[in-house]
Amino acid sequence: MSVLTVKATSKARESGSRPTRPVLTALKGPKLRYIVATLVGIFAILAVQLILSIALSGGAYEIASLKGEMRNTEQKRQMVAEDINALIAPDTLAGLATSMGMVADNNPAYLRLSDSSVVGEAQPATADSGAAVYPVTAGSEDVTPPAIIAAVYESLTSPQEISPEVPTKPVSTQAPVATPVAPSEPTPAPTAKRFGGSIPSPTTR
Amino acid sequence: MYHQRMSGRRVAFALATVMVVSLVFVGRLVDVQIVRAAELQEQSLQVRTTSETLWASRGSIVDQFGNDLALDVDRYDISANPSKVGDFRRAGVVVPLAQAVAEIAQVTGANYDQMLSAISADPTVQFTYLVKGVTPEAKDALRELDIPWLQIDLIRERIYPFGPVTANLTGMLGRDEPLGGVELAEDECLMAQNGFATYQQGADGVRLPGTTTLVEQPIHGGTAHLTIDSDLQWYVLQQLAEHGGRLQAQQASAIVVRVSDGHILAAADWPTFDPNDFTDAPPEHMGARTFSAPYEPGSIMKSMGVAMLIDAGHTSVSDRIVAPGFYNIGSGRFIKNMLVSDARQLTTAGVLQTSSNTGMAVLGERMPQQQAYDYFRAFGFGEKTAVDFLGESRGVLRTPEDHDPFTRFAQLYGQGISVTAVQMAGAYQALANDGVRLPLRLYDGCTTSLGEFIEAPVAEPIQVVSASAARQTVNILEAVVTQSALRPVLEIPGYRVAAKTGTAEIASASGYGSERVISLAGMAPAEDPEYVVLVSFYKPQSSKVSSAAAPAFTDLMSHVLKHYRVAPSSEPAIVPPLTW
Repeated sequence: MSVLTVKATSKARESGSRPTRPVLTALKGPKLRYIVATLVGIFAILAVQLILSIALSGGAYEIASLKGEMRNTEQKRQMVAEDINALIAPDTLAGLATSMGMVADNNPAYLRLSDSSVVGEAQPATADSGAAVYPVTAGSEDVTPPAIIAAVYESLTSPQEISPEVPTKPVSTQAPVATPVAPSEPTPAPTAKRFGGSIPSPTTR
Repeated sequence: MYHQRMSGRRVAFALATVMVVSLVFVGRLVDVQIVRAAELQEQSLQVRTTSETLWASRGSIVDQFGNDLALDVDRYDISANPSKVGDFRRAGVVVPLAQAVAEIAQVTGANYDQMLSAISADPTVQFTYLVKGVTPEAKDALRELDIPWLQIDLIRERIYPFGPVTANLTGMLGRDEPLGGVELAEDECLMAQNGFATYQQGADGVRLPGTTTLVEQPIHGGTAHLTIDSDLQWYVLQQLAEHGGRLQAQQASAIVVRVSDGHILAAADWPTFDPNDFTDAPPEHMGARTFSAPYEPGSIMKSMGVAMLIDAGHTSVSDRIVAPGFYNIGSGRFIKNMLVSDARQLTTAGVLQTSSNTGMAVLGERMPQQQAYDYFRAFGFGEKTAVDFLGESRGVLRTPEDHDPFTRFAQLYGQGISVTAVQMAGAYQALANDGVRLPLRLYDGCTTSLGEFIEAPVAEPIQVVSASAARQTVNILEAVVTQSALRPVLEIPGYRVAAKTGTAEIASASGYGSERVISLAGMAPAEDPEYVVLVSFYKPQSSKVSSAAAPAFTDLMSHVLKHYRVAPSSEPAIVPPLTW
């Protein structure tokens, strides 16, 4: 190629005419390594694209499954929040307290720390001052209480639950719902109709 | 030669065939790729593209501690297509229809027979509900049953965790629209707007990367904050139920207001309803009568009457008057007292302490009608409270031009004027707060889904009477507790309580009948009142005198003092002279 080029240039010099050959002669002898390099480049690009595309769709599957997991977790959170709401409802707490034999005392006294004096006139609570749970609605609504309330009642009335060994046992992170109740000790079915006043409790009035 | 010709023809034929086939292919290619390209691409996009509703939840209503009073939760509607149900194979075992339904019944707790008949009643129907509103837990269990014809759809459900406790205030949500109370009044804050997105999915349902287009952003509802203390509200409602039942009252209401800021801590109406299921709740018990039902308050209004008379300088606490047995207002009409019919020598304090109607009339002579009207307006009567509750009543306060001679005096002891329980609680708040009436507050504001708190507008306080007139009146109200026959019932050991009883006759078209509204309003501790409690029973049957409401008031007030850890009083009350 170099010989040809030189010839052409010398010819052009001799004749003084426009050199037309050198372009064609340059294309006539492509070196193999350029072709290989180009092809390898093309295939490399294609391969990378393929890998990227596979990774991308793999990621799509992962996103889909993570999103599903997130939805499930969010729903679990919501269910737990619902249980908490049911348990902190004032009537649940009052019903539970009453079923444990607690009575309200509306005449408390206070101990003032600054001068150690007793402020107010304390009167002992009587069974009479405890609150029964009264129905407050006019209609005959029948709202099923969340299962957790019945479960808590069950655990309260179960003799296993109030045995002194209980605190030493590792506390399960699972809901206390799963606590097995001794079949030999039939517990009264908790018929706690929400706000309906039929929460099992000693009659105090 | 022949052979050569034959072979040449064959080649030509093969070539022609190839050409024709190629042409067909090329034609098809041009048709698909160029002529109908846009249309086909559109079709394919439609097949791959799915739209997705981005659920936004309606905001919660919370009490002052952030406890949810109303909130949105995920629930699922379970339905089936009766024309397509039937036996199916699960893990190689044929599951008959009845067994599948039985499994659904076991998981959801729904009625087996009802579901089976819903499915099999009419096989030509395309759709029937099996169970509505199952929990996510039950939904997961249903999914595991792997029943091919089961349709599970996400819905949003409104739940009210505390049930009837604040039902009168929160109101309820009907099918997608609020039906009353804060749900309706603050809908703008609570309202959610579902969003909308499209994406393309592969054959296995996985969304193709980079194809999601958010068409509409979902906007979650804001949180509406109430000043209510739901523990207290529950207790108040319980007391109303207990005492209302004992008095065989038709209905009862009670309000607890914090004096220092006018916040309504409890506003209960009994009987009420459960917003979780109000299908057969009587409509008359589904609102907040504390706000919406004005009534003639009776003697509890005398506290305002005496406060305005003292403030205007028309009388003083120890001013001596003679309260006649009957007070003639002309044209053959008389004002009489509830219990006594002979003249008595009372001080102004004694007039209020014994709740003398004729004594109030004698004092009322000294006050020009316009002045009394202005005082009533300043106390907040005849206009809605700052709460501006949905459906709140203004009550009825007649202008002086509208008065007959009877009304002029009667207003001072609570007849000829209609007020709501919440207006009356506001007026007592003014007496308790050194004469400054703070705007009552129930709805505190809205926290938007972006976390921004928008406070509800705060109205200006009004100095209704002077601090000294207010304190003197409260001092007389203490004597109502300590110097009357009701002392054993109204007294709360360790605390000074100021209160006023009221027995109002219920006016009908034919005048005042035998039905009554009995009420008690008061505050404690009297030396520096922190809480105002008002309780009223409508149409009690077993007892119609105001003293019958006293036990309920005492129960509520002592609970409020205990609940908020109010320090007991240290100084004894000074009793003003009552007679002379």
